[in-house]
Amino acid sequence: MEQRSTLRSPISLTDADLERRKILVGLTAEDIGRLVTLRELVTQEGDRYTEEFFRHLANLGEAPTLFGRRDVLEEAKHRKRAHLTAMAVAEFDRTYVEQRIALALLYSQYGLDTRAFLGAFDHLLQALGDDIMKRFARNADDAFRKFMSLKKVAFFDIGIITDVLMSERERVIGQQQEAIRELSTPVLQVRDGLLILPIIGTIDSQRAKQLTDGLLRAIRANRARMVVMDITGVAAVDSKVANHLIQTIAAARLMGSTVIITGLSAEVAQALVALGVDLGKITTTGDLQGGLEEAERMLGYQVVRSNETTAHRSL
Amino acid sequence: MEADAARVVIRRDGDIVEARQKGRELAQQIGFAGSDLTLIATAISEIARNIVVYANQGEISLSIAEKNGRRGILVVAQDAGPGIPDIERAMRDGYSTGNSLGLGLPGARRLMDDFEIRSTVGQGTTVTMRKWRT
Amino acid sequence: MAIPILKQGDILIASLQAAPTDQDLVQLKDDLAERIGRLRSRGVVIDVSALDVMDSFATRTLRGIAHATKLRGANTVIVGIQPDVAFAMVRLGLSLDGIATALDLEEGFAWLQPPPIAEAPRGS
Repeated sequence: MEQRSTLRSPISLTDADLERRKILVGLTAEDIGRLVTLRELVTQEGDRYTEEFFRHLANLGEAPTLFGRRDVLEEAKHRKRAHLTAMAVAEFDRTYVEQRIALALLYSQYGLDTRAFLGAFDHLLQALGDDIMKRFARNADDAFRKFMSLKKVAFFDIGIITDVLMSERERVIGQQQEAIRELSTPVLQVRDGLLILPIIGTIDSQRAKQLTDGLLRAIRANRARMVVMDITGVAAVDSKVANHLIQTIAAARLMGSTVIITGLSAEVAQALVALGVDLGKITTTGDLQGGLEEAERMLGYQVVRSNETTAHRSL
Repeated sequence: MEADAARVVIRRDGDIVEARQKGRELAQQIGFAGSDLTLIATAISEIARNIVVYANQGEISLSIAEKNGRRGILVVAQDAGPGIPDIERAMRDGYSTGNSLGLGLPGARRLMDDFEIRSTVGQGTTVTMRKWRT
Repeated sequence: MAIPILKQGDILIASLQAAPTDQDLVQLKDDLAERIGRLRSRGVVIDVSALDVMDSFATRTLRGIAHATKLRGANTVIVGIQPDVAFAMVRLGLSLDGIATALDLEEGFAWLQPPPIAEAPRGS
């Protein structure tokens, strides 16, 4: 866990960021002064609060994998206990934040729902709050202020933990989207040195990037001197994507491969010209069949047509 | 200085390689994908080469950038060289003609998302550029 | 470290290792010029597959080497530009200015071979 949080912190940890977080919850030196008076209470009752926090989650049926493994649960409890102590030591420096992040990453790894976490946290605050009012009952006003200071720390912590959980979730979603895109843009090897890339559907800039990566790597892996890129199935192309495709073709050429575009509809051709794309720079043929024949000819294969099918044999 | 950030002094061509390799490493830690790593390394190479050729010595600092929950890489190249008298002209793209006189600047700008340059003649130049993870 | 140059028939092969220094490239140009003259080579294959970055300087320098070898009567082909590198070069706006490129050594050699004398008739 430690290794992970130093290698790739999911949130930024500059001194400026830490200060900003404190400002956002209004955490001042006065608050810190009040928090340290809670040290004794936390030392005495910290274990109970920790147990209640996790019992609350267990009762909700939350994060079964977290509760299923004794060593992981012990680790989480240990960190939570340390957290409570740290709140009353009241040094909200980078170490404090890194410890919050480490705990949040643990929660994320075992699929703890953010809402459940917030509920349990609130439950813990309630317990602490009740005890503060009881212990400092002689001066109710003072006790209340102590609790308000504690609440600021709670929001400080929640801010960090929810940021981490969101960041982790985005990361996982990103990976899944990546995998889906991989599947939806196949590159097919037709014969030695020739690839077909049929593109279907809308291309956004994310997908265009995916296409480029996939195609250029496929050219290398298959040693493809020629690529037929068929865009019959593409309805519309915006300027960003058009530029990206042009760049892909240029990159393929630098690698030593030639790209032929097929299935360029009149509409898309007009749109490209209107966007300022120089169609003369890219080779295009009408349909996929024509493109394949052109490619094979350029590769040195002789194309022979019979009545029903197109047969090919090499020179 | 944040963890994982780096500072490279740029004096000779070997330093250019170090700067772009450190840039690549940091970008990888931030989570950039394969082709972006090369774009970032190439942009760093361009501005580092600029320092070696025009300013004799400078420094490149690399760190994590964050804005609105997005993460990226921040590259700052500073030198105490002669400065650029006409920044606008220097930033005009000379590349389409394969112009060998071109400074690395317009190229680096094309590869990165954010690009700022400040320069004072006789004092030096600072280039700040960022690329954001998608 | 000097860039190694191998000879295969009348073709020279120069394999660039990762991150060549400026000095290495200058040396390469001189070495190639010398060898083309002495060995009467008619072709040069420059293998850049080990390069993880090709910036404007490297591109200009390789262009210069290719033109220099051409002046000495040898055709040059650059092989092995990696996918990410090729894309970065395009984004940067770099051009190899008419210098031939090929996927790898084998394709490079094929390109340097003289074309067949008789072309087979095309079917239609």
